[in-house]
Amino acid sequence: MSAFINNFPVLAVMTLFVGGFLNSLVGRRHAVLQKIVVLVAVTGALAMMLALVKPVLVDGEIITYWLGNWEPVEGWAIGIALEVDALSLFFGLIVVVAVFVSGVYSFTYMSRDDSLVNYYTLFMMLGGSVLGLVLSGDLFNIFVMVEIMTFTAVALTAFRSHYEGALEGAMKYLVVGSLGSTFLLVGIAILYSQLHTLNLAQIAALLPEQSDNPLAGVAFAFLFIGFASKAFLFPFQPLAADAHAVAPASISLMISGVLTKCGVYGIIRLCYILYQNMDLAVVQYLVTGFGAVTMFICVTMAFQQHNFKRLLAFHSISQVGYVITAVGLGSALGVSAGLYHAMNHTIFKGLLFLTAGAVQHQTGSLDLDGLGGLSKKMPSTTALFLIGAASISGLPPFNGFASKWMIYQATFQKGVETNNFFFIIVCVLALLTSVLTLASFIKVTQSVFFGQLPEKYKDVKEVPLLMRVPMWILAVLCIVTGLFPTQVQNWLLLPATNAVFSAASYIDAAMGEGYAALHNIVSSGVTSLGVSTCWSPLSWLALLFCVTCAVTIVALLGGPDNKEDSHVSTADENAEELDPKYEPFFSGEESVYSQVGGSDLFWGFKHSWRKYFTFWTNWHSGVVNDYTLYGVVVTAFVLLACIIVL
Amino acid sequence: MMVTNYIGCFVLIVLGLYCMVVKHNLIKIMMGMGLVDYGVNLLLVTVGFHYGGTAPIFNIAELTRASFFVDPIPQALTLTSVVIGACTTAMSLALGIKLKEQYGTLDTRKIRRLNG
Repeated sequence: MSAFINNFPVLAVMTLFVGGFLNSLVGRRHAVLQKIVVLVAVTGALAMMLALVKPVLVDGEIITYWLGNWEPVEGWAIGIALEVDALSLFFGLIVVVAVFVSGVYSFTYMSRDDSLVNYYTLFMMLGGSVLGLVLSGDLFNIFVMVEIMTFTAVALTAFRSHYEGALEGAMKYLVVGSLGSTFLLVGIAILYSQLHTLNLAQIAALLPEQSDNPLAGVAFAFLFIGFASKAFLFPFQPLAADAHAVAPASISLMISGVLTKCGVYGIIRLCYILYQNMDLAVVQYLVTGFGAVTMFICVTMAFQQHNFKRLLAFHSISQVGYVITAVGLGSALGVSAGLYHAMNHTIFKGLLFLTAGAVQHQTGSLDLDGLGGLSKKMPSTTALFLIGAASISGLPPFNGFASKWMIYQATFQKGVETNNFFFIIVCVLALLTSVLTLASFIKVTQSVFFGQLPEKYKDVKEVPLLMRVPMWILAVLCIVTGLFPTQVQNWLLLPATNAVFSAASYIDAAMGEGYAALHNIVSSGVTSLGVSTCWSPLSWLALLFCVTCAVTIVALLGGPDNKEDSHVSTADENAEELDPKYEPFFSGEESVYSQVGGSDLFWGFKHSWRKYFTFWTNWHSGVVNDYTLYGVVVTAFVLLACIIVL
Repeated sequence: MMVTNYIGCFVLIVLGLYCMVVKHNLIKIMMGMGLVDYGVNLLLVTVGFHYGGTAPIFNIAELTRASFFVDPIPQALTLTSVVIGACTTAMSLALGIKLKEQYGTLDTRKIRRLNG
């Protein structure tokens, strides 16, 4: 049995790919058969990854599969390997769950579109390529998977080509995304020229000996930028915003929940396993700096948005910034916080994109200024959206709170330990970003679900059951992972974090026992995460409840006096004079439709920061040349830093 | 000989990046993407080349410690990369045709409805 389970990684990847191609063979005639093929394939992949949980996460095995049975000869890996350690499986689980939910959601959501065969084929290839990427043990294989992922994502972004901007978003994604892939390939070529191998385990064993080789530093810079572009870190975030805004919601879930995780996975693999240079202060500054900048800029950009999904896209990248910030700290707590937030990000962001898709499906609009009052018509969707919004803003007892708390703790601890001002600033930025996220979601909630219902949306109905089920799955996951953080830590985060810090066993599993020791690679692993014990979401919920009660009481106590005052004054005055029609400066008809528009809710804040906002709005110019330029400039900067310091 | 190759691929990549950053015509940007691709392919082939090596085609029996041949792996990588480059070009051209239909122009300064 255990021998057969070793085939599951490759089978899971193949199931998705074969399902995709089978779908284009049989699905053209039979719409039902098409859905069955998709459902079987995504369920199969999900089941196989779940079957791997016991040996990999619980027993701590590392499964290595050599394609074509080409095992290493005399210490040289000559074949292509799939290597599944706890880190790979952690991301693999995220991927298959997201693919499953997105697939089920698509059945109803995409039912009004034509050429669905192409959609499902591309969709399955996207899922398969991402799964292949996180399970792969070969650097070039990773590049190929990144390319498949980019192309299918571009094609799916442009799938509804009649939407305004769909082609434009796809084009920008293709141009700048292929720039990122090219940098990845340059990094691989340079690395190969120095080490003559592509196997991740062997690279990990040989690289630390090359620490004074400047070319290794150059390769690091290129690989880092390549993965950063796939995670849409600064300065690549405009691509994500453009692609999300125009892609179907099920694909937005894939782009935000799955594609960005590839970048995160790549950066973790690169810094912790391949180069093992995360204890260098420079690398910590680099990775954490990228994360913190991304986190803050994206959340402020989200304030400026009038498109529902474009706003969500900026928040999505902002949360990825959180993940990278935590990962860059180099401590066990930081890595586990990053992994936790990565998982939660897929869940709550997927939920939010799906609710946005539900709104779009029923009303045909994503315009924040035009929508309103949908809570009366779509109560279930509203509840789901509120769960997602509370999670992303980090309110207890949802999962966003638990992981963000760990991130604050990790950054603060790092700042105290190193006595470094940089990490203190990062900690403050993380807190600030969370506040701004909450503010921004209040705006969305107000302008889409509450307020007045416009006349044209009078007949809007709740979405069909088949669309609500995937959303409820994600919502339940939001609550469960938030309510039981200790269990999540023990079962998921601790094995994955341990895998991040035990490069030696990763090398030994692929190259044979003792190979790591031969190259002087020792790693201790992690046995505990060091989260402070007094942390319980429920007590925070109680605190929040008390504060809310206190605020309510104060507000109620202060209320009646004002009311009486105003009442008295109205009685005194002539009613006609109070009518705004006859006031000297504000005369005119009273406006009938008086909802506070979503964009006006924080006008004071936006006004006082207008120079900052104008700068970044102009920065996101929409011209693809500018985006390429930013990418090239930042690459040059990272390259210089790595050559000088590494 | 090898230095020329490295200089060549550096020049190709820089020229391609220049095209992508400066030129506003979408077709020229695609050409730039192609140039960067070719530069990287040249880099890959050069990395695996050993001066004076033979073609890497052997039986297991013929293969000895003394046999000297060029590294076959980068050539395989280059082949894959060439295919991917062709796909990039095809895909971007297809998008270009559709964009021309929708926007009536290929000037990137005018294709900027998604901004801010």
